[in-house]
Amino acid sequence: MIRKEAIITAVKKIGNYPVISANGLISRDLFEVCDRNTNFYMIGSMGLASSIGLGVALKNTKKRIFVFDGDGNILMNLGSLITIGTIKPKNLVHIIFDNNSHESTGGQPTATNKIQLTKIAKSANYRVFQAKTKNQLIKVFQKIKLIQGPIMVIVKIEKGKIVSKRINIEPTKIKNRFMNSLGKQ
Amino acid sequence: MKALIQKQIFDFLFNNGVENFIGVPDSTMKHFIDQGFKKNKIIITTKEEESIGIAVGMSLSQSNSLVFMQNAGFANSLSTITSLVQLYQIPMIFLIGWRGFLKSDAPEHTKIGKIQPILLKALSLESKILTEKNWKASCNWALKLIKEKKSCVLILKRDFID
Repeated sequence: MIRKEAIITAVKKIGNYPVISANGLISRDLFEVCDRNTNFYMIGSMGLASSIGLGVALKNTKKRIFVFDGDGNILMNLGSLITIGTIKPKNLVHIIFDNNSHESTGGQPTATNKIQLTKIAKSANYRVFQAKTKNQLIKVFQKIKLIQGPIMVIVKIEKGKIVSKRINIEPTKIKNRFMNSLGKQ
Repeated sequence: MKALIQKQIFDFLFNNGVENFIGVPDSTMKHFIDQGFKKNKIIITTKEEESIGIAVGMSLSQSNSLVFMQNAGFANSLSTITSLVQLYQIPMIFLIGWRGFLKSDAPEHTKIGKIQPILLKALSLESKILTEKNWKASCNWALKLIKEKKSCVLILKRDFID
């Protein structure tokens, strides 16, 4: 499964809930596959999607908040797992699309095949699920429906050759429409 | 700055619409943070960028935040400030301790203490130094700016040696 396919599958299951997506190809794929007001595309500040997601989750406790993170991104902000695991937001679902590489910058390796992110997340009070195929990912989404967060879903993906288009929405517009969508839901 | 005034600053900001106080501790503002803990309003993170990220998420949810840090942490945060806070025009108050303000402060603070005002200027971040006399006016200034959806900086000088 390539990232774009995983993102299509995840978005279908998520419906209208807010998604905070990490910079690089993850946000670009999400934008191309399913642009909507409830997407917050974090186009810079690598590593911080999960922190932004935590802030949104703490202030919108009646909604499930989804973070679309990458392996390079979460490795850059492992401290976020500590903070999330300390506060334990019940409504936060942290999805890591893991291709074991910095694909946005040319496919350089990350260390996620040398360490066990599942163990790190579990010891930081996450409920952890894994998926390698589309069917497994659909099943994980069914499983987590009634489970309290913080939840981590590690989706193993393959590197792909498809590069989605850049996000052509002004950052302040991304912000404004996301804020409006939070207010309305 | 006296403990009592630091506590008053916390209470004033809290009572005037700042709902979240997130950061990495600085002994310069110990009493401010202690007062926040008493009110159960403090979130301590592992790094300053993380604090800013959380504050951004809260701001997107219409809830105002103050992010506190040492100036070493401010230096850590430069990219996050430019590529997140300023890029999306997210309102928040930064409270930054000014280590290295006294020449006799510990050596690791000397350089950052010297360039702190230059860095603030380079980022076009408006700032005011909190003093025992002007703190209320400076807090009101910061509150006004976040109402206008701008970010700004309040500075607390490190005026003692431990």
